[in-house]
Amino acid sequence: MYKILEKKEIAMRNIWYKVHAPHIAKKVKPGQFVIVRAFENGERIPLTPVMWDKEEGWIGLVVFTRGKTTLRINTELKEGDSFLNIAGPLGNPAPMEKFGKILAIGLYTGVVEVFPIAKAWQELGNEVHTLHVTFEPMVILKDELEKAVFKHTVETVSIDPNKSFPENMKNVTARAKEKVREMIENLKPDLVFMVGPVGDQKAIFEVVKEYNIPMEVDLHPIMVDGTGMCGACRVHINGEVKFACVDGPSFDAYTVNWDELIARSGYYRDLEMKAMQLYMEKLQAQGGAQ
Amino acid sequence: MMVKRKIIKERIPTPERPVEERLKGFMEVNLGYTFELAVQEAQRCLQCPYEYAPCIKGCPVHIDIPGFIAKLVEYKDEPDRAVKEALRVIWACNTLPATTGRVCPQEDQCEMNCVMGKVGDKVNIGKLERFVADYAREKGIDDELLGEMLPEIEKKEQRVAVIGAGPAGLTCAAELAKDGYHVTVFEALHKPGGVLVYGIPEFRLPNEVVEKELEKLKRLGVEIKVDHIVGKTVTIEELLNRYDAVFIGSGAGTPRLINAPGVNLNGIYTANEFLTRINLMNAYRFPEYDTPIKVGEKVIVIGAGNTAMDAARTARRLGAEVTIAYRRGEEDVTAREEEVEHAKEEGVKFEFFLNPIEFIGDESGRVKAVKFMKMRALEEKDAKGKRKIEPTGETVILEADTVVIAIGKTANRLIVNTPGLEVEGGVIKVDENLMTSIPGVFAGGDAIRGEATVILAMGDGRKAAKAIHEYLQKKAKESA
Ligand SMILES: Cc1cc2nc3c(=O)[nH]c(=O)nc-3n(C[C@H](O)[C@H](O)[C@H](O)COP(=O)(O)OP(=O)(O)OC[C@H]3O[C@@H](n4cnc5c(N)ncnc54)[C@H](O)[C@@H]3O)c2cc1C
Ligand SMILES: Cc1cc2nc3c(=O)[nH]c(=O)nc-3n(C[C@H](O)[C@H](O)[C@H](O)COP(=O)(O)OP(=O)(O)OC[C@H]3O[C@@H](n4cnc5c(N)ncnc54)[C@H](O)[C@@H]3O)c2cc1C
Ligand code: SF4
Ligand code: SF4
Ligand code: FES
Repeated sequence: MYKILEKKEIAMRNIWYKVHAPHIAKKVKPGQFVIVRAFENGERIPLTPVMWDKEEGWIGLVVFTRGKTTLRINTELKEGDSFLNIAGPLGNPAPMEKFGKILAIGLYTGVVEVFPIAKAWQELGNEVHTLHVTFEPMVILKDELEKAVFKHTVETVSIDPNKSFPENMKNVTARAKEKVREMIENLKPDLVFMVGPVGDQKAIFEVVKEYNIPMEVDLHPIMVDGTGMCGACRVHINGEVKFACVDGPSFDAYTVNWDELIARSGYYRDLEMKAMQLYMEKLQAQGGAQ
Repeated sequence: MMVKRKIIKERIPTPERPVEERLKGFMEVNLGYTFELAVQEAQRCLQCPYEYAPCIKGCPVHIDIPGFIAKLVEYKDEPDRAVKEALRVIWACNTLPATTGRVCPQEDQCEMNCVMGKVGDKVNIGKLERFVADYAREKGIDDELLGEMLPEIEKKEQRVAVIGAGPAGLTCAAELAKDGYHVTVFEALHKPGGVLVYGIPEFRLPNEVVEKELEKLKRLGVEIKVDHIVGKTVTIEELLNRYDAVFIGSGAGTPRLINAPGVNLNGIYTANEFLTRINLMNAYRFPEYDTPIKVGEKVIVIGAGNTAMDAARTARRLGAEVTIAYRRGEEDVTAREEEVEHAKEEGVKFEFFLNPIEFIGDESGRVKAVKFMKMRALEEKDAKGKRKIEPTGETVILEADTVVIAIGKTANRLIVNTPGLEVEGGVIKVDENLMTSIPGVFAGGDAIRGEATVILAMGDGRKAAKAIHEYLQKKAKESA
């Protein structure tokens, strides 16, 4: 049981948790993730420690309300409650090298993964430029990134209430592509790093590829155990099957089979929608949806 | 106590759940003996002398089989006492009889050379063992017996870390705790039990059986830390600083995949993922449980071991039409006889001499068919005594919307990558005392054998506990 020491809405649908998890705080490095199980009948989902304190034994998580599990966590867990399980740290730490000038991009809550890595790269002597593209009310970690890196840029897109959410997301993708192009032209980075929805990762990669700049991505396939036991997270990298949880999560964007990964990430969409809908109905029946 | 008695040629059958009822859920298929039936079966045993009894030789942990069977007959008028005495005999060699009685490949082990086989059916040793354990659990007799053992334990100062809470780790932990050591088990998943909880389905091994084993450990004072991945949360090197010895029982957790185009299509699961979603995460009860699974209408399971049977029978219970495709012939099926029979009864189809060469998908990226190469057997045998096979050149395509790959596993990679730990052929190398290349670090179970059996894992756990005990005593003397 891992106690929630602090819970706070830091932006729309983005909830911050400070959680007592000394076994992870002691070990976690930028680029690694944890697997969280919040409820007895719940799923195991991967999340990223955004900051941590070894001495005090806590990690910070930001949970973006996406489907049922994240909504349920954000709705039902209160300060003082506990996560049932947090296992980790998992995956390989991000490579800590001097790359030179780095452009690190986070879309939506993906910036949570960018933050610790970008900070560490900057501390190592790289010149790190970060870019966060998201909807206006969803900006997070702005002050923290401004302090941590050479230059932090936030690009926001406003939400058109007359359009569906997926339609709105297209605007974020378009804006991100434009902005990345512009920043690449201006900065001529030695390395691009990006975290965000897999479709956007592919879209941004296609831009970066035009400039032939090395690019790393943190991949987000569906995971179950996170320890290399199940193979749910498998992806083709350079034509070879790799398990993102033990071989990644970071990979060279030029080697990823993007279409396969996109298809795999969407495999349960119908069931996820169903679960979400049932849960929303339950909340409405209780009169307490957020 | 040799009593002259009439030879009963036929096995006393164990009641089984009817097929229609089985397919509706995950309730246990074999219902086991009642005391009366168990005594009748026990009376069939010829009570071969200990030194000769072929059953004892066939059991990897050498349980005194005639010894425990005799207790059932001797105290047949006092069921509780009969079971307690029988359990005492079994426990001397095996602390997980409810599990092994259910899952051991008895036909290749204890029952293989049973003398009764010469005149009739072999004695149903597995089911008798299971009966003793089940009856004891239901009546609290195992608690009682354990209670008698506890005060005799002399607590020691030394501490041992055990990696992995599967049968190997759990057995090693229990034995060391009985020797008085402080034992901490580190388990990666949120629930201890290893394959017993995430792999083997409830219709073969109900959860309560495993839970009872875990309770026993708790009473012995063993601490289990879940969510701890050794190699990530803590390293073996760090464990060696805090503990006097380490046992690795991390199993064979990495699934093998088929190197064929389309292997990452949606709908293609490794058996580990398929069974973990269902057994550990209860996906068959989605949306009551949050983890989803998609079992289509036509499922192909590739492989013919216990894992393949479990996956196939699970898919049947979720309403699918299921075919097992195996690249060799029927005589080379590696699953337990009972599982193969049950699978057939439950309507699982078998196709032999088919080797997958391509997975074919639809536009959405979901598998819709599998292309197989037809194989044929040669007279020549391979190192494992199986007939060699070769492609015929002819292919066949079978439709499927779900495929489960059950062709085996190799050792957990996070452990295998430990610096200084010698590995050979994907498994951890050990000496005759099960010590690895790192002094004070021992290993056993699937981690040193590749995918094997519960009883071998257990036997290793026990053997390693003995070796660790000797190692620690020597260490204590040296430092004294
Ligand atoms: C390495 C890694 C780090 C992550 N870090 C964060 C983080 O710090 N903060 C955050 O909010 N989110 C993070 N995520 C994403 C997060 O795991 C998903 O948002 C979450 O699993 C969605 O669950 P759900 O039930 O709410 O949504 P669902 O409706 O079930 O799923 C929505 C989508 O999320 C993805 N998803 C669903 N289940 C899983 C799963 N078990 N594993 C991976 N992806 C899944 C699928 O693509 C799915 O279509 C991370 C994912 C990975 C792989
Ligand atoms: C589906 C299936 C059916 C089977 N059916 C039978 C059968 O009928 N009869 C039979 O005899 N055998 C059967 N087997 C084989 C048998 O289950 C195994 O041989 C046995 O479980 C091996 O025991 P173990 O303790 O070595 O490993 P496991 O049971 O694999 O346990 C290893 C444990 O270690 C944990 N672990 C792994 N890595 C780490 C790490 N880095 N840090 C911490 N913990 C870690 C794992 O999570 C797991 O809990 C079956 C196997 C499967 C998969
Ligand atoms: S442990 Fe297995 S092999 Fe040994 S007697 Fe029991 S069932 Fe037979
Ligand atoms: S070999 Fe068969 S008959 Fe002989 S003791 Fe063993 S179980 Fe009994
Ligand atoms: S999540 Fe199971 S192997 Fe990666």
